[in-house]
Amino acid sequence: MYHLDGLRRGAASLGFLFLVSVGCAHERTGRDASILVAAISSDPGQLNSAITTNGGVHTAASLLYDGLVALDDSLRPTPALAERWEVEDGGARYRFHLRRGVRWHDGTPFSARDVKYTFDELLMRYHARTRASMAAALTSVDAPDDSTVVFTFRRPYAPLLQQLDVSEAPILPAHLYAGSDPLRNPVNIAPVGTGPYRFASYTPHSEIRYTANREYFRGAPTLGTVVLRVIPDNETQVAALEAGEVDWLYAVPAAARARLAADARVHVTHSNLSLGGSNCITTLGFNLDRPHFRDVRVRKAIAHAVNRPQFVERVLFGDGRAADAPISSAIGFAHARDLPIPAYDTVEAARLLEAAGWRRNGGVTRTATGVQGVTDGTTFTIGFKGMPTQMVYGDLLRAQLRRVGIDLQLEPLESAVFAASVFTARDFDTAIGAYCNGTDPEIGVRRMYASSSVAPVPFSNMAGYRNPIMDALFDSAGAALDVNERRRLYRHIQEIAVRDQPYVWLVETRNTQAYSARCRGFSGVAHFAATAECTR
Amino acid sequence: MNVRFVAVRLLQVVPTMLAILIISFILIHLAPGDPVLTLAGEHGDAAYYAFMRQRFGLDQSIPQQLVTYLERVVRGDLGFSYVYGRGTLRVIMERVPATLLLMGTALIISILIAIPAGAVAASRPHGARDVGISAIALGLYSTPAFWVGQLAILGFSLQLGLFPVQGMTSAGSAATGWLHAWDVARHLALPAMVLASQEIAVVVRITRSTLLDELPRDHIRTARAKGLSDVRVLMRHALPRALLPVVTLLGARVGHLIAGAAVVEIIFGWPGMGRLLLASLQSRDTPILLGLFLVVSFTVVLANLLSDLVYAAIDPRIRVR
Repeated sequence: MYHLDGLRRGAASLGFLFLVSVGCAHERTGRDASILVAAISSDPGQLNSAITTNGGVHTAASLLYDGLVALDDSLRPTPALAERWEVEDGGARYRFHLRRGVRWHDGTPFSARDVKYTFDELLMRYHARTRASMAAALTSVDAPDDSTVVFTFRRPYAPLLQQLDVSEAPILPAHLYAGSDPLRNPVNIAPVGTGPYRFASYTPHSEIRYTANREYFRGAPTLGTVVLRVIPDNETQVAALEAGEVDWLYAVPAAARARLAADARVHVTHSNLSLGGSNCITTLGFNLDRPHFRDVRVRKAIAHAVNRPQFVERVLFGDGRAADAPISSAIGFAHARDLPIPAYDTVEAARLLEAAGWRRNGGVTRTATGVQGVTDGTTFTIGFKGMPTQMVYGDLLRAQLRRVGIDLQLEPLESAVFAASVFTARDFDTAIGAYCNGTDPEIGVRRMYASSSVAPVPFSNMAGYRNPIMDALFDSAGAALDVNERRRLYRHIQEIAVRDQPYVWLVETRNTQAYSARCRGFSGVAHFAATAECTR
Repeated sequence: MNVRFVAVRLLQVVPTMLAILIISFILIHLAPGDPVLTLAGEHGDAAYYAFMRQRFGLDQSIPQQLVTYLERVVRGDLGFSYVYGRGTLRVIMERVPATLLLMGTALIISILIAIPAGAVAASRPHGARDVGISAIALGLYSTPAFWVGQLAILGFSLQLGLFPVQGMTSAGSAATGWLHAWDVARHLALPAMVLASQEIAVVVRITRSTLLDELPRDHIRTARAKGLSDVRVLMRHALPRALLPVVTLLGARVGHLIAGAAVVEIIFGWPGMGRLLLASLQSRDTPILLGLFLVVSFTVVLANLLSDLVYAAIDPRIRVR
């Protein structure tokens, strides 16, 4: 037998070291009441939100900047950098009067020149969303004097005011960007804005620190410091909130909601808005180029076979609602009520499939008899592509479709591969995506149906749906200024979409935020910390 | 240790690195997924993509891009990151210290725990201590780090409140000097132990088995016959010889350690290279990816070289060659 006293002594001293470190570590993060820590999922890399639509950049940068307008909870434009505005020339010209006395964080006065520069050189070149929706219609942005900006369009352009908030069109300082390459300007990681918080420091992949802008034109924030903390794992974010290391989560994973809601140290709140995209509808798309889906009866049958409330219950854990129209219910003026959306009815689904030539010959999976473009005897086995986070929908959908004799094969794909295979190669049968409608159907709905959007662009017209009547209706709805006229046109659009069923609109998702009970007064998502306050 | 040996080994690094660079360049470009699509997101149009492609030189043919890239690398320029808009080398180097700290600590913890544990286990094969240690080692080896990590957070951070949940420093901390070091150490403890747990398992098993080979040998019996204490026999005569394969193993494990660090970094929000690798893979940030492959493979090659040198230092038989 060996006597291992030396070893034992070594082990004991290691254990002692461990205990000492643990003992001293046991001090809670007693934070200053004026500091708020929010969790973000990824390092934004840079903080210029005018040159990208990346959700991470927008989340991290939104405290720094302002748009010409802000949007209230009902998505109505309210004054921000612009104090008031006039719509002229039947909606083809907008004149904005800028707020006077606004200064950039570095003290330079803000002026119309900054707005013109931001639109001409940043947004219209690099902000994919604003560029794609506005560039074709926009003639010029002019600054006749320091406090006036005039937008001139080729034709009446209705959605402009919905596209000028801090996420669609943040205004950046011309004096720091003019003449530089905006993608590589060092100001991108030491940014200067007009917003409620000014940039203090950036530690890559760790945290970004902001301090209150005491001169903020809408009133100085109560909190002195906001720290955005990079925590990539969702579960770790929740644990950090529970441990008191973090005070605000932009998005809570569905499975953790009930636990947090029951926790007295945490408050839970909801918003349709999120900076990556708002008013999202999780949508199943059919590839209309595939012979299986040419017959509308098959698409209708699948819509009937889908039990949408079950998705709300089992995937969203009750946090959301079954989609009842192609346009989100959060865009009040455009959302159509009482549309003839196919109800959950497996008997009707079976009847339609039989009629379309998909017979159940004793087997579980149906086979084709006389289906155009499909060899007789082919089984109804179809692929389903989606990003890994969407596969929970796939699992449930697979179970629901099996009941009507359709075999769904799930193919989870990482996002870059998903975009390439679904939108570039168009190599899929069915696919799932979160289509965020945005604040106006022009931003996030038109792209799902317009013939011109059948393009190698992620989350464009996935189905490959082409209908000249639909194209014309979208053109009219985009140009109409009267809200009742737009409502009428969007209703017509939704009736056709429901009739043709290129998609099955599954659920409207809702974004859940959670925050420490020691804080209150959060406003919206973009400037969430501008009005917040915390106690120790 | 002679200089020529080191020089020759270092020279061999160059073609290895070049091959790694070319192969990974081709692999990245063969994989589906387009950096411009991920960069522009879902709202771009064809003109926008064409503009961005041209902006980043992605409109050229792949061989042309490879040539341009290699020319730059030779001049020490690893290119600009699409996502960060900064020099690749700078972005990567910002992350290296965090990963080295995590890996180094994990390596030290695993050596400090595993070699004594392996020795204890070998001291009485199939005894209660051996069975216990071997069972724990096997358990740790077969448990994935992401699960151990989540459990560690739930147990040590949330239940016991011993360690912080995430990050490398306290959020918003302005600490400097020793206070800063202390803050980092507190945050380091849990991720380093989780990363070490996998290594401990491997090193315990190899230490135990090589010691078991060593203990029945003649020179051990001689040492014991001289009247040396058991500890001295073990430490002076058995362990040094048994450590040779362990050193080789540790060199070879550096690659695994980097891979394991990626998982641990994500769970604990540790700001290292592993997270950068994953994020860059998702965004198809090719310059960063290639830069990381370069840095990581260089580290692995270097670690192997280092373990050869240590090997030579411990074992006089190798030194001459």
